[in-house]
Amino acid sequence: MVLVTSDQPAPVRSPWVNMALPWVTTVARLVVAGVLIVAGWLKIGNPALSVRAVEAYELLPGQVATAVGHGLPILEIVVGVLLVVGLLTRAAGVVSALLMLAFVIGIASAWARGLRIDCGCFGGGGQLAAGQEPEYFWEIVRDFGIFLLAAWVVWRPPGRLALDSALGLAPDREPYDRYDDDELDADEAPDTKENG
Amino acid sequence: MGGKATRDTGARDRIKAQREADRKREQRKRMATFATVAVVAVAAVGAGWWYAAQQSQSETASEKTAPITVQSDGAVVMANAGVQSPVLDIYEDFQCPACQSLETTSGSTIKNLAVEGKVKVVFHPITIFGDDPTKSNSVRAGAASRCAPSGQWLAYHDKLFAEQPNEAVEGFKTPDLVSWGKDVGITDPAFEKCVTSQQYAQAHQAYSKKVLDSNVIKQGTPTVLLGGKELGNVAFQPSDLRQAVLDAAK
Repeated sequence: MVLVTSDQPAPVRSPWVNMALPWVTTVARLVVAGVLIVAGWLKIGNPALSVRAVEAYELLPGQVATAVGHGLPILEIVVGVLLVVGLLTRAAGVVSALLMLAFVIGIASAWARGLRIDCGCFGGGGQLAAGQEPEYFWEIVRDFGIFLLAAWVVWRPPGRLALDSALGLAPDREPYDRYDDDELDADEAPDTKENG
Repeated sequence: MGGKATRDTGARDRIKAQREADRKREQRKRMATFATVAVVAVAAVGAGWWYAAQQSQSETASEKTAPITVQSDGAVVMANAGVQSPVLDIYEDFQCPACQSLETTSGSTIKNLAVEGKVKVVFHPITIFGDDPTKSNSVRAGAASRCAPSGQWLAYHDKLFAEQPNEAVEGFKTPDLVSWGKDVGITDPAFEKCVTSQQYAQAHQAYSKKVLDSNVIKQGTPTVLLGGKELGNVAFQPSDLRQAVLDAAK
């Protein structure tokens, strides 16, 4: 009779990686938040033009475009602030990722239809000044990059320096919690099997 | 030996139960905090949303409008007799979407303030676009607006903004420009010829060049100046615009 340990051991990560990963989330949070807050701030002073920027995409019916134009800047700012402080991190990450996905789709669709618009991403949008060409490709690359960062935040919240951790809201328990439980249960459910 | 094992099991169960209770309490606390933060965040978005909608709430335009004078250089004055100040300069392009936004949001407030004798409004229709089709669209509309008699000028101006074409296509075609004139009550037979021949196209472009060369426009159209000072976002917020004009009149 030979005792062997389970053939699927928990993935072993170097302590260095364990230290670094939460900081990656923190950086991702701050980058996504920075973009959202700047974008929202530049639009929030002028609801009429914000509505105009949404209408320029010709994707939403009038009433909906108005509602989105009024609501989007404040939504961007609130979600951005949540990400900065790390509150409701996963939810804020989901909203950011969805926003970025919507922007990518909107810009791609404007590009495909040959609309000649400023994305309106950073306020003022709607129309381009004379001689200006829309840079749809780079706008899509940028927004998709931010989408990936937001997806990272959703995958590994809340990172370091997050109120979620301080308030016990962190969706994943810290590794040492899990270690505690494992120790308690170790003698009752030994992670071994008989091979004979 | 067996007794100790039982004691150990008992202690272990108690610890386990205690941990379970702690965990449940933690869970409830967590849910409460989560819900509170979520409610606050949603309320903040809702409040901002409501505020934005209020900010862009338009006034109802009064039936009357202040007398209009089309000046020889192409600027158009809208003011009650004797009202000299404050002056509200509006530089706009009939093809510019943001100008259309300004008109739909704050146009009624501007008219009302003029009727109330609170302000002297000076419209400066110009062409800011440099590429086609927007440039020629804008020139055709700007030239046509000069053909409108002063009695119908404002109505025609509003009609042009309402009918603004997409920036990617040729629009403001002369047959349309003529029929929109009839729609707003222009009966003068000279109007049609004036629009069709684009009588004022050169004069309109000359005035646009003069305005652009003067560097009064810093950030594109619309540019709204109150007493020579740029209003920026305030121009797009009817109640703030009204307050700014009333303050300037003091």
